[in-house]
Amino acid sequence: MEYFMSVAVMIAIFVILASSYNLVIGYGGLATVAHPIFFALGAYTAGLLAIHTGLSAPLCIAAGAVVAIAASVLLAASSLRVSGDYLLIASLGFQLGLLQMIRNFEWTGGPGGLTDIPATITGAARTPAYLAICGAAAAVTVAFIAWIVRGPYGRAITAMRDEELAFTALGRNAMNLKIVLFAIGCGIAGIAGGLYAFYYQYLSPEQFDVLQSAAILTMVVLGGMGTTWGPVVGAALLLAVPQAITFLDLPPAIMAPAQGIIFTGLVLVFLFLRPSGLIGASGRGAMPAALGVHDHSGEGA
Amino acid sequence: MTDPIVLLQILWTGAVTASSYVLLTVAFSLTQKVTGLWNFAQAGTMGIAFYAMYFLLNDLGQPLFAALPVAAALAGASGIATEVWGLDVLRARNSGNLTFFIFTLILAELIIYILTLLFGTEPQTLFPSILSPVHIVGGIAIGEWDLWAVGITVGALVALQLFLRLSNDGQFLIAVADNARLAELYGISARRAYCVTAAIAAVLITLAMYLFGARSGITPNSSMELILTAVIGTLLGGMGRVFMGGLASLVLALIQSYSVLVIGSRWQNLLIYGFLFVAIVVFPRGIHLPRRRLRLHAAQPG
Repeated sequence: MEYFMSVAVMIAIFVILASSYNLVIGYGGLATVAHPIFFALGAYTAGLLAIHTGLSAPLCIAAGAVVAIAASVLLAASSLRVSGDYLLIASLGFQLGLLQMIRNFEWTGGPGGLTDIPATITGAARTPAYLAICGAAAAVTVAFIAWIVRGPYGRAITAMRDEELAFTALGRNAMNLKIVLFAIGCGIAGIAGGLYAFYYQYLSPEQFDVLQSAAILTMVVLGGMGTTWGPVVGAALLLAVPQAITFLDLPPAIMAPAQGIIFTGLVLVFLFLRPSGLIGASGRGAMPAALGVHDHSGEGA
Repeated sequence: MTDPIVLLQILWTGAVTASSYVLLTVAFSLTQKVTGLWNFAQAGTMGIAFYAMYFLLNDLGQPLFAALPVAAALAGASGIATEVWGLDVLRARNSGNLTFFIFTLILAELIIYILTLLFGTEPQTLFPSILSPVHIVGGIAIGEWDLWAVGITVGALVALQLFLRLSNDGQFLIAVADNARLAELYGISARRAYCVTAAIAAVLITLAMYLFGARSGITPNSSMELILTAVIGTLLGGMGRVFMGGLASLVLALIQSYSVLVIGSRWQNLLIYGFLFVAIVVFPRGIHLPRRRLRLHAAQPG
C-alpha cells in the first residue's frame, strides 16, 4: 500500500508540473522545453533553505517559486522574441547551462546531489500526509489553470497565441502577456519542485535533464495539449504504466532502462496512434500552432 | 604570458578533438538543410554506430575494415527506417514542430535505453589502448592518430562536397533543400532525397563515432551531449550552410580548448551551453561574415 501511495504522490507532483507546462506551451503556445529547470530551481531553493536556514516548509516552497519566477522572467525577456524551433533550442541551452552550474557548484551538492533535506513529516503517516498535500496541490493547480484559461485573461492568451499580429494591432502587449504567463507556469513548476524536494529529500541534476523535458512534454501532448485534463491523464498514464515491471524484481541495471524503454515505447505508440492526445483538443481553436499544420517540406531551408 | 608552443599545442589538439564534432555537425546540418528538421534521432544513430563497432571489434573480434562498414550500414538502415516509418508519416499528417521534436528526441532516448540495457553504463572505448606514437614537430606533439583523424575528416568533407556538386543525387538534395515541391514537379523524389541524406549522415556519424570512440570513453548517454554540440555548430554556422556549420564547431572546439587557460575544465560545458543560448538569442540565423564585393571589372565582359 505504501508503494502505491508513493507512486500516487509522484503522479500528483507531476500533474502539477505537467499542468503548469500545459499552461505555457498548450494555452500560451510558447514552445520551450526548459520547464524542468524551473522545477529544479524550486526544488533546490526549497531544499537548500530547509537545510541551511530551518525555515518552515511552506516558506521554503514559496521561496522556490519566487526563484523559479525570477529565472523565468530572465529567460522570457531575453528569448521570447524568437519562436518555434529557435525558442525550443534556446530554452534547451538555458536549461542545460543552469543544470551545468548546479552540477559544478559545491553548495548545491554537485553531481553527487543534494542530500540531508530535513523530513518535515515523519513516521507511518508520512506518505499518506504527502499524498493528501500533493493531491490537494494538484487539484488546486488544475482548478486554478482552468479558471485562468476560461476567464477574460484566458481569452486574451488564446487570442495572442492564435493571432499575435492581430492581438498586437488591437493595442495589447503580447510580450508582457507572454512573460506573465510564462512566470505563472514556471512559478507553479517551482512549487512542484519544492514539494518534490521535501518528499524525496534528495535532489540530483540528472533528475531535471533533457529526458525530464521529454517526459513532461510527452505527458502534455499525449494527454491532450491545451486541455484541462490532458496533463492529468498523461502524467498518470506515463508514470503508472512503467511501474508495472517493478513487481518482476529485476536487478536495477535492467529495471531502469527497461522502464525507460516502456516509457519511450508508449510515447511513440501514442504519438502515431493518437496524435491529438487521449483527451483531444476541443476544436481547431484549442489546437496549439506547435502541433497544428506545419510545412516540413524543406522549402527555404 | 603563455608560451607560444603551448598555444600552438592547444590549437593542434583542439583541432584534432574537433574532427569528430565537425563530422557530426555536418551530418546534422545537412539533414536540417534538406529535410528542414532538427533531427535529434541522430543521437540514436550515433549510439548504434558506436556500439555496433564496439561489438564487432571487441566481442566478435572482427577487424576494423569489416566493423566500420557494417556499423555504417546499420546506422544508415536505422536512419532510413526513421525517415520512412517515422518522419514521412508525420509529414503526411502535416504535423507541427513539437511533434517532430518529440518523435526524434524520444526515438533517440528509446535507442539509448536499449543500448544501456545491452551494454551497460560503463564508459567504453573502441580499442583497448587510446595511445598512439607521437612525433615532436617544432616543439608540438603530433600523434599519428591525430593525422589519421584530420585526414579522415578532411577526406569525408571533400567527398561530400564532390558528391553534392558533381553527382545527380547531390544536385537533387540541393534542389529538395531549396524547394521540395518545386523539385518534385521536375520529377525529383523528395522522399528519395531524404533517404539519401539519412544514408550520408549515417556514414559521417559512423566516421565521427570511430574517431571519438577511439580516444574517449563513451556511454549510451554520451550521444545526447554530442548532438547538442552539433546543434550549436549548425546554429552558429547558419542554417542551410552545411560546411560553415562544420567550421563553427571547429571554432567552438578551439574556444573550449583555449578556455582551460582561464577557467577550470569542469566549466567548459557551461561555455558550450552559453554559446547555444547566445547563438539563438543574438544570432538566430547564424553568424554571417560580410560578403566580398565583386570588383566592377570582374563583372564586366572583356
